[in-house]
Amino acid sequence: MGVILCATRGGEASLETQDAAIALAKQAGDELIFIYVYDVEFLTHANYALREDLVADELNRMAEFLMTMAVDRAKAQGLSSRSVVREGEFRAELLSALQEEQARLLILGRPGEDDGRFALEHLSELARRLQEESGIPVRILPD
Amino acid sequence: MPSHTLTRALKNRFRTSKPYLCLVLLIGLWLAASFQSTPSAFAAGRGVAGRILDSQGEPVTDAELKLFVDNGPVPVAEALSQPDGAYLLVLQLEHQVSRVRVEVSRPHFEPYMWVPAPAELAVLLEQGSFVTHDIVLQRRVNASFWVVTLVFLAMLVVVATERLHNTLAALLAMVIIFGVSLLGETVYPDLFVFRFERALEHVDFEVIFLLLGMMIVIGVIEETGIFQWMAFQAYRLSRGKVWLLALVLMGITATASALLDNVTTMLMITPIILEVALAMGINPLSLVLPALLAANTGGLATLIGTPVNIMVGSYVGLGFNDFVSNLTPGVLLALAGLTLFVQLRYWKEYHAPQHALAADLLARLEENGRIRDPIKLRKSGLVFGILLLLFVFGDALHAPPAVLAMAGAVAMLVWVNPNIRAMLSVVDWTTLVFFIGLYIVVGALQEVGLLSLVADGIRDAVGNSLLVALLAVVWLAAVFSGLVDNIPFAAAMLPVIRFMTRTIGGAESNALYYGLAIGADLGGNATLIASSSNLVVAGITERAGYRLTFRKFLAVGLPATAITTALGCVWLVLRFT
Repeated sequence: MGVILCATRGGEASLETQDAAIALAKQAGDELIFIYVYDVEFLTHANYALREDLVADELNRMAEFLMTMAVDRAKAQGLSSRSVVREGEFRAELLSALQEEQARLLILGRPGEDDGRFALEHLSELARRLQEESGIPVRILPD
Repeated sequence: MPSHTLTRALKNRFRTSKPYLCLVLLIGLWLAASFQSTPSAFAAGRGVAGRILDSQGEPVTDAELKLFVDNGPVPVAEALSQPDGAYLLVLQLEHQVSRVRVEVSRPHFEPYMWVPAPAELAVLLEQGSFVTHDIVLQRRVNASFWVVTLVFLAMLVVVATERLHNTLAALLAMVIIFGVSLLGETVYPDLFVFRFERALEHVDFEVIFLLLGMMIVIGVIEETGIFQWMAFQAYRLSRGKVWLLALVLMGITATASALLDNVTTMLMITPIILEVALAMGINPLSLVLPALLAANTGGLATLIGTPVNIMVGSYVGLGFNDFVSNLTPGVLLALAGLTLFVQLRYWKEYHAPQHALAADLLARLEENGRIRDPIKLRKSGLVFGILLLLFVFGDALHAPPAVLAMAGAVAMLVWVNPNIRAMLSVVDWTTLVFFIGLYIVVGALQEVGLLSLVADGIRDAVGNSLLVALLAVVWLAAVFSGLVDNIPFAAAMLPVIRFMTRTIGGAESNALYYGLAIGADLGGNATLIASSSNLVVAGITERAGYRLTFRKFLAVGLPATAITTALGCVWLVLRFT
């Protein structure tokens, strides 16, 4: 039994990715781990007093909540799963999680309509680099 | 009495009365100084006195005056105009003179020469003193004008396009201006802007200290979890009615923004709103956006609600109660309009069927919405309550809001969180440095005369009608604030509004300043880039999988801005015209 790592957030587009990952894990009899990576880089846009530590704490709580929803979703479809929340740069954290969890496959969510024209292109490039650096296959779901 | 006994007695008397003598001496020096600096005081002396003004009637400081007699090449008297524009040329005339001329020079102004008419000269010679009419200097557009203007515009563009952090952009602009000014002093006089000492006079330290104090106060309060608790209570209160949840959340964010600040409010409350919305199965943006728009609107209600209000308040000397009586009713009107708009705009989302929360999600939501530190909340709540009371009664005590905010901050540090290192680390020093740099850059704009030209232009366009001026200021500020950072815009507009307030009939009620605050603050709702709170909320929603694009924000923000600004204008017109 291998491990499938599914990078997800929580929007409507993510739900389809989660469903596809659940189906894939059930079919292969693999363990499914949902992973959420966050950062507070967006705070550089603000020009007023900000507590990065408190914002990071709130994002962590939100991430745990979103991951609970993802795990509940898998459970509702008859699959037991778990989740991981990490703070840091997206690619670096995914690479490190792939090694730590000894995953056999990484699933990334297909960009939604709001993500812009070049989002899929960027995501494909990210997937290619992740696969190259980790040696673990990366898939963008749903197909 | 022998002479040595008398001397000793005098010495003893002197020793015991020394502090009083020092005090008398100090008062004497102060009186002498004030005697020399005002024309009225000089009237009893010997010389020429008067005031130097610019074309807006603002006093011109540091103008150099030289008085020549009988076409002599060497001035017999020299003086510099004081901050109130007053000058005094002390004369030592030992012989009869037939002609007197006074030459006035000041960087960024055309040179001026005054020659007294024969009758005036006769008065001067007969009485030994003469008070002239106000000397009005005309602005001169030179190289420094263009350099400073271009630097300011470049700073706005760099900040708007996020090429540089706004603090860095302001510092860079400031350093360029100082560099150019230095060249002006040594190489090419037309490039001179101002000296460092003069530049510092443009920094409003009351704003800096008020921001500093409020940052510490807010820094303590936000640790308690009060924002998250309020959001969770809003969910409980609404009992599954999404329209009611949106309404309560708007009320919470508007109030919290008015009393604390909108960015902190939205940073702390947005994650839990997202959680509630996702758990209920509704589009989170239908709750987050109304809460955000209400936060940006609510901040306008008080002196401490937004940086623009703080700047306006300090510049004009307005207190907490001035904002409450002159802006809060307008804000309530704007919020009523905003609520109606939001309820109609999201009617479908608010009345769609939702699903009940799963037990584990509800438990997690409850955990995320609990008070993190009840003791700290009690203490900080008490300090903040007293601070609010002091703001309200501070006007009667003649206590500047900055002093009260610093007192509140110190109370927080002493009683609530005595970890000075931790608490000083919550102060956003980059923001304070940004304000210092910005004030110096705007000071340079004032020095070279750009703001005077803008003031003249607006004054010519609006004429003498307060209504037209009010509408022009509000909408101009709203449009600009939708496109560029509203803080540099407001800082640059304050001297312009001051001129308009002095020259337009009825504007002495400070209506135009309130108009500037309304436009600059409500304009922050127009576009995604118009306000820091918009950008940080977009950052959080994106991390929950909901991208808040420029267009998506504009579709809601622009009509909301139009409605709230129009209602703000209605209030201003009812209140001031």
